[in-house]
Amino acid sequence: MLNPLLLMIVYTVVFTTIMPVAQRNFSIFLLAALLPWLFFSTAVLQGLNSILGNQELIRKVRVPQAVFPLSVVGSNLVNFTLSMLPLFLLMAALKQRFSTALFFVPVGMILLTIFTSGVTLLLATFTVFFRDVRHLAEVLLQMMMYLSPVLYDLNMLGANKNWWFRFFQWFLAVNPITYLLALIREPVYYARVPDAATIAIATGSSFVALAVGYKVFQRLAPRHIHYL
Amino acid sequence: MRNGEIRIRDAGVSYRLYRERVTTLKEAVVQRFRHLRSAEMFWALRNVSLTIPPGDAIAFVGHNGSGKSTLLKTIAGVLQPSEGEVLVQGRISPMIELGAGFDSELTGRDNIYLNGALLGFSRKQMEAKFDGIVAFAELGDFIDMPIKNYSSGMYARLGFAIAQDVEPEILIVDEVLAVGDERFQEKCKARIKDFRTSGVTFVFVSHAHAAVSELCARAAVLHHGRLAFDGHVEQAWERYRELERGPAPGPSAAAL
Repeated sequence: MLNPLLLMIVYTVVFTTIMPVAQRNFSIFLLAALLPWLFFSTAVLQGLNSILGNQELIRKVRVPQAVFPLSVVGSNLVNFTLSMLPLFLLMAALKQRFSTALFFVPVGMILLTIFTSGVTLLLATFTVFFRDVRHLAEVLLQMMMYLSPVLYDLNMLGANKNWWFRFFQWFLAVNPITYLLALIREPVYYARVPDAATIAIATGSSFVALAVGYKVFQRLAPRHIHYL
Repeated sequence: MRNGEIRIRDAGVSYRLYRERVTTLKEAVVQRFRHLRSAEMFWALRNVSLTIPPGDAIAFVGHNGSGKSTLLKTIAGVLQPSEGEVLVQGRISPMIELGAGFDSELTGRDNIYLNGALLGFSRKQMEAKFDGIVAFAELGDFIDMPIKNYSSGMYARLGFAIAQDVEPEILIVDEVLAVGDERFQEKCKARIKDFRTSGVTFVFVSHAHAAVSELCARAAVLHHGRLAFDGHVEQAWERYRELERGPAPGPSAAAL
């Protein structure tokens, strides 16, 4: 909870005084996507180590192993929910509009949790077999943060004909995180419910991620013990 | 199958012994270009068939590395057999190892709840059992101390105290009795005999002849992962001694 607050202060200072962004209430704009992003990335990074971290137990007692990554997601969800409170306080302090669209935020949080669970399960089982997945994931998550609309928004991109810019736009369009973050930023910052296409893509990719992650995890779980 | 029954049919557990074990993605990619990784199969357990009816007491005897623990782990469901099948019906109270499922940072009190949760008991149910467990373990005020400060005897006491109070239908005890002091050992044996009369299946691993003969009428001898004998405990012990006098025991990797 402290971590997102401190990060928010750093980013707000950077983007309001050092490199000013002409965005009204930038801290709210930022926090509305940064908090969900930090939930996702923290849960994934902690969760992928959870099988290795609990190997003493897994080697000696029969336990459904999916419990370990999922409990990490659960505890991060608690942190995420708690960190929404300062956001609402900040909204009140900066006189940001509270709209009925805010009732959509819990739906977004649930979908993001489903997505996060799938990714965490998948990476947790891979980490058992290949120990460097963790380092790879750290770098990839760092890259993903900049390749997802966290610090910026799709409508801030402008136009450019370069091939790399077109690639970047294409990537944003196929990146499920784009849609998942919109589920929370749209109601919080823009005071509107995200459009149906965004909700549909976010829902679809969340359930696909969970189904794939869970299937692969359950398939590989009996073999974990030989690699622990 | 009846509750408390264990049926093992032609079970085998194999480990892959990699000459160059791949543990990172980088190595896995690099190895592709060098040569295919060579794996040797090592059968820790093979062709083991046993039926343990409810209420039976059986001891597994064998040298170190004979596959006793592997067999116990498959019964407890920690390991999946690579071939054959292991069917177990009923609640297992597995004491595979000393303090299995304990978190050493937590206090004895918290570990009782943790262990209860692992065995499928809610906090409320464990609260009802709590005093009995503490009384059996005779840990007194130590119950509120982190168990990393416990002696191995205290560990064993707490472990056995939990296992004996969770209404097991199958009780697995692996060498844990050896750590407690004599009085506690007697108490455990008395408790195990209680279980025997109430029809709990009992699986025991020990190198102590006296304890085995006292608690079990039946014994199975494991030798290099194979079932060498299954029958009366004294005959099993004889067979075990006979096998020990043979070629030096120890795990050997047989290439497949």
